[in-house]
Amino acid sequence: MKAGLRQSMAWLHTWSGLLLGWLLLAMFVTGTSAYFREEISLWMAPELHHSQPSPDTPALAWAALNAKAPDAKSWDIQLPEARSPVAQLRWQPDTPQAEEGGRRRGEQAVMDAGTGELLSPRASRGGDFLYRFHFELYGVPRIWARWLICVATMFMLVAIVSGVITHKKIFKDFFTFRPGKGQRSWLDSHNATAVLALPFHFMITYSGLLIFMVMLMPWGMNAAYEDGWRGFFQDVFPREEPAAEGGAAMPMVDIAPLVARARETFDQPVRRISVDWPNRDNAVIRVSTAKDPHITDQRRGGNPTLVFNGGTGELLETRPGDEAVPGAFRVYNLLVNLHLARFADPTVRWLFFLFGVGGTAMVATGMLLWVSKRTQQLRGKAPGAALRLVNGLNIASLTGLLGALAAYFAANRLLPVELAARESWEIRVFFLTWLLALGHALLRPGRRGWIEQLAAITVLWAALPLLNVATTDSHLFSATAWRTGALAGFDVVCLLMAATGGYALWRVVRKQPVRGRGPLPQRRTVEDGA
Amino acid sequence: MTVIAVTLPLSLAYAGLTALALAMKRHHEAAIGAKPPATRLRAFRVAGWVLMALMVASCLRLWPTGLALSMALGLVTLAGLPLVFLLPYRPRLMVRLAPVLPVLALIATAV
Repeated sequence: MKAGLRQSMAWLHTWSGLLLGWLLLAMFVTGTSAYFREEISLWMAPELHHSQPSPDTPALAWAALNAKAPDAKSWDIQLPEARSPVAQLRWQPDTPQAEEGGRRRGEQAVMDAGTGELLSPRASRGGDFLYRFHFELYGVPRIWARWLICVATMFMLVAIVSGVITHKKIFKDFFTFRPGKGQRSWLDSHNATAVLALPFHFMITYSGLLIFMVMLMPWGMNAAYEDGWRGFFQDVFPREEPAAEGGAAMPMVDIAPLVARARETFDQPVRRISVDWPNRDNAVIRVSTAKDPHITDQRRGGNPTLVFNGGTGELLETRPGDEAVPGAFRVYNLLVNLHLARFADPTVRWLFFLFGVGGTAMVATGMLLWVSKRTQQLRGKAPGAALRLVNGLNIASLTGLLGALAAYFAANRLLPVELAARESWEIRVFFLTWLLALGHALLRPGRRGWIEQLAAITVLWAALPLLNVATTDSHLFSATAWRTGALAGFDVVCLLMAATGGYALWRVVRKQPVRGRGPLPQRRTVEDGA
Repeated sequence: MTVIAVTLPLSLAYAGLTALALAMKRHHEAAIGAKPPATRLRAFRVAGWVLMALMVASCLRLWPTGLALSMALGLVTLAGLPLVFLLPYRPRLMVRLAPVLPVLALIATAV
């Protein structure tokens, strides 16, 4: 009976893993990079690299908005912080057209935090493209893509549970890795990356489903609220409505004293300033500071805030931030925050990045194991069409995707700044490179395919820091890159990617297809398993 | 939070896992060579869990509880991966690193 369960679970694990593995691999790679979404976006906007925060930034932003949109409906200033050296200005024009477009569609500008000059970064989706791809793919209707991602995530959960049941000696083999033994070695490395990181895999999968719980299981909300999720969200995240009409024109007070007051009150740096009906007699200014990040915090808001009368500067309200939330909500917040690493300081963010790399390795070793096992079973015969297809798709989804990612970054530096629809071209370069890699992999689904693609990604990733030297002044040898650690970090990661690709290439090349060790089937494994 | 602060729980996790690996007969023979008596295996097992407890304690010092427990699990992963690959290739180095790394981390943290 027990063997029956294990066998059926092995079957389930093998096939659910294979079918959704390619998608999961893409989700892992883009999701891992999304931990550095803002850093990637910054890297992809060299025009912003020289901005340096100064104590005058709030006043400069205040002046810039007064010049740009003095009679807007609302202003929103995001001050620079560790992950972004610029000030983001957003405003909602007070016109009927802006109203029609919905409340989110305002206008925005990026300001140099040191000089107050408005910057015009090159058009690029930056890290947002990778972040979005992680859970919505690209070019697919959003709702379909999200469902597909959720199905893949559920299969991942199935693969985790069935994988644990399938694993014969989960504790006895906890530390076991037997190198140079073809299928056995792939199985061991799949086990090692899966079992050691099991808490991470389970957390990331389960919390991924939680993020979409409203979409996946809407019935509770639909039963409780007549208008379904809209009513639910209004109750859980009440929205503050500004006064419907702007009053008579009236200049506002200086912002600097209000910022200083908020900083003193909460003993935290000011992060955000928002204004309803600026330069009217009913103007309301909210100055919010940072807060000590906590892992059970809500995803948005909850920052300590002072509310001022815009015309007189009189303090209207002090909000200490973060109301206590009920237990179930805190558990939800805990899991979602872990998934998004929202609370993370740089060290923790790097650790999460490494966990993501581990997850990618876990999926990748599983896919390679599938091919390795079946190649071994051939006992030297030529692989059939199905095996060649799977091997080709493995190459394309692993080295192909990593190559496409490097091409995406390279396109950011190489495409002309004034190119129309430039941000779409960057994404097109990404997909064209991936498509090219897929074609190549399907034509040469074997050792040579691996060798050629590994060589290609090694060159591409190594080229990125060089390209940076040639096209920007914030490269590895510049003070700018090291002042904003993220920029230097990006180039260093590129070099590490190249080194990893080069090492893998060396290992594949060194392993001769025919070598006089072990019985015959293992030699064939080496040939295709790579 | 500096990178250096994390090296202490990370190295403790590595030392703890190494002790737990050495508490298993197969790995003990591969890494140390001798056929281990049962008492020595038990001593390694106890030492391993004590080190793991210290690791969790050092995480709790660094982070608030919820994050500390999550990070403790994550750091075990991170420490385990090099261990798994050192074991077949450089078993002696694996054993030697176990006492050295926490000491280095302690010094680095103190400085």
